[in-house]
Amino acid sequence: MATKAADAMGTETLIRDPPGAATLLLIAIAGAGAAGVLVLLAFDSDHLEDPAVRAILGIWITIPYIGAGLLAWWRRPDSRFGLLMIFAGFGIFLSVFSWANSNALYTVGQAFDFLPAALLIHLTLAFPSGRLERPPEQLVVVAAYIVGGGFVIARMMLGGVDPPTMLQVLSSPDAALIVERVILLGLSLISLAGIVVLAVRRRERGRPLRRWVALLIDSFALVLLMIALLFLAGTFGWPAFEAIRRMTFLIIGAAPIAFLIGLLQARLARSAVGDLVVELQQDPTPDHVGSALARALRDPSLTLAFWLPEFGRYVDLDGNAVETSDGDGRASTPIDRDGAHVAVLLHDADLHDEPELLAAVTAAAGMALDNARLQAELRARVDELRGSRARILEAGQQERQRLERNLHDGAQQRLIALSLDLGLLEEGSDFDSEARARLGRARGEIAASLAELRDVSRGLHPAVVSGHGLAVALESLAARAPVPVHLVVTVDGRMPEAIEIAAYYVVAESLANVAKHANASSATVEVRRTDGQAMIEVIDDGIGGADTEMGSGLRGLADRVEALDGRLRMWSPLGGGTRLKAEIPCE
Amino acid sequence: MRVMIAEDSVLLREGLSRLLVENGIEVAAICIDAEDLLRRVRGFLPDVAIVDIRLPPTYNDEGLQAALEIRANHPSVGVLVLSQYVEVGLAMKLLADSAEGAGYLLKDRISDVKEFISAVQRVAEGGSAIDPIIVSTLLSKRRSSDPMAPLTPREREVLELMAEGQSNQGIANKLVISLRAVEKYVSSIFSKLDLPSGTTESRRVLAVLLYLHV
Repeated sequence: MATKAADAMGTETLIRDPPGAATLLLIAIAGAGAAGVLVLLAFDSDHLEDPAVRAILGIWITIPYIGAGLLAWWRRPDSRFGLLMIFAGFGIFLSVFSWANSNALYTVGQAFDFLPAALLIHLTLAFPSGRLERPPEQLVVVAAYIVGGGFVIARMMLGGVDPPTMLQVLSSPDAALIVERVILLGLSLISLAGIVVLAVRRRERGRPLRRWVALLIDSFALVLLMIALLFLAGTFGWPAFEAIRRMTFLIIGAAPIAFLIGLLQARLARSAVGDLVVELQQDPTPDHVGSALARALRDPSLTLAFWLPEFGRYVDLDGNAVETSDGDGRASTPIDRDGAHVAVLLHDADLHDEPELLAAVTAAAGMALDNARLQAELRARVDELRGSRARILEAGQQERQRLERNLHDGAQQRLIALSLDLGLLEEGSDFDSEARARLGRARGEIAASLAELRDVSRGLHPAVVSGHGLAVALESLAARAPVPVHLVVTVDGRMPEAIEIAAYYVVAESLANVAKHANASSATVEVRRTDGQAMIEVIDDGIGGADTEMGSGLRGLADRVEALDGRLRMWSPLGGGTRLKAEIPCE
Repeated sequence: MRVMIAEDSVLLREGLSRLLVENGIEVAAICIDAEDLLRRVRGFLPDVAIVDIRLPPTYNDEGLQAALEIRANHPSVGVLVLSQYVEVGLAMKLLADSAEGAGYLLKDRISDVKEFISAVQRVAEGGSAIDPIIVSTLLSKRRSSDPMAPLTPREREVLELMAEGQSNQGIANKLVISLRAVEKYVSSIFSKLDLPSGTTESRRVLAVLLYLHV
């Protein structure tokens, strides 16, 4: 089966082109012609009882085969099964020439009288590829043709049919009867052997998992069983022969209908690919993809394995290595995207009977998995970017902190010491008032420089936040604010320094904006820590209409807040004041 | 008068001690960190401990914590906190319930030798020394209604000096007015601002600061 699967399916490029419309039409017309001829022969026959019933039964066992064969050949050009069905349909048709009054046609009909049984045995064992793959199958079918063809000719030559055919060379009724018995018994035994072959095949591969395949195989098995029964009834002259014959005909005609149902189901399954695409788009996680594919392909045994290029092998969802060898009714179909392996579907080999469905589903799965991979990649990249943004901010912050400390411990201390020296000099009595005044001015200059340096230091890093916490720092901000600020800080203890500093900058920048743009008469600053979150909110009662698109100052704040996985939002309706809210995760 | 210093910068340590010694103040100990200071204060109570707010090992709030601890455990020791930046919030923390024997000055102030020595003396005597920046920040704080409105400009000047911890005599010297005039202004201010009158000089510092801080 695996070899067959590879042959029949292979890669998609090996799928044969479907037959041309003209060919199909010609066969269809021939089929219709055959049906017409069949009706004419039945009603024209001078030796046929119940011509109407026989005509209907005749059409019933030929036309479905030709029709289903045409459809199968068109839809599955890579399988010979369709052609074989058409062939069987016409083969069965040939047997109705035994109804003809013309001796020549009658002879042809008699020659093909048992051929339908052999054809049906052949058809049954050749499903679904149209080929006989194993010696037992080939043996059974060859035997069926020898008995159902060769022995029939022998029987005709011995004059075993009445009226005699053109092939009769001698009249030996006894010998002919023996041959006839051999034919009937032989064909029943061959049919039973066919059932055995089917049964063995099923036991080897397990019960087909896909329903319609099982249905079809069962109906074919039933056909063989009925043929065996019919011929046994013929051999032993059971009274129920006619009833069995009609029942057999009914079942023979029903088998292609089971086949058509299967094809139709396959079409329905293909129409479900659309739903599959939508479903996969909603949830492209690998385990869901697997189960959705199993549903779409109606193969509960289907599993998905993923290709790990770095290990050069397939693994399942749990990371265990998966063997993809075909055989024993299992098959694998790789899912490739842009020439690279993505995954492989491990499924029932019978799925290869529906190559288009498999191809469509595989393409959909490839897209979904590719999507999932791209999304994962994107997420990883976003995480990476967020991480690098946090690192850049952190590095900048550390650098500023270092500069602030350098200023504090270096230049500022030196200037204070220098100023103190000047102060001590000033106190000494060695100078006149002129010199003293100059010393005083120099001290004043140093004081101004120190004041400037303090502003620079504060701008570099709010040391008071690190040293004494957010609440103290915010109190100073609120005291220096240009409008009355209602400050509410409900935070127990200290928060991580990075969060405190971010919160400080959020409030500082907001209050600076209040001073510059808001035209407000008061503002409220609230800092809360609840449910693992630090919430910083600054609300003013100004004119609103601030640029919520975030100017560079706000953008910088947003960067700071987002680097800590938080988010910064601003509401500023015209005339409705401005509200800025930062939320930062804080365990 | 005996003073202990806690300051990590060599330059300032030496400058400070020279400044004090030259002005007849005994420097009993020079410490380089808060732990050292606390140990020495426990061993021998000085009149004033001058503490840099930013001390090793972390340079965060070790200095402030040492100051608060001395104020809590050794009420007789005056504490003068020096810092390169002054914060209203820290002032309120330091003065929590009393401005007695407490000072909080910008480090720059040491170069104004007379002023600084007078601040050290005030703190040693149980008075206060609050940096003018704190006072001016509190005064400039925006409010819905200006609490200073009823004061005359002169009364305002007196209030500022009062908040810095100046004594009536100190205010009189600074503004070059008589002590009686200062007393008149002070009682006028207290009645205009509806503050409890008749408090000591150090109590009135806190009263005024709290009044301004609201």
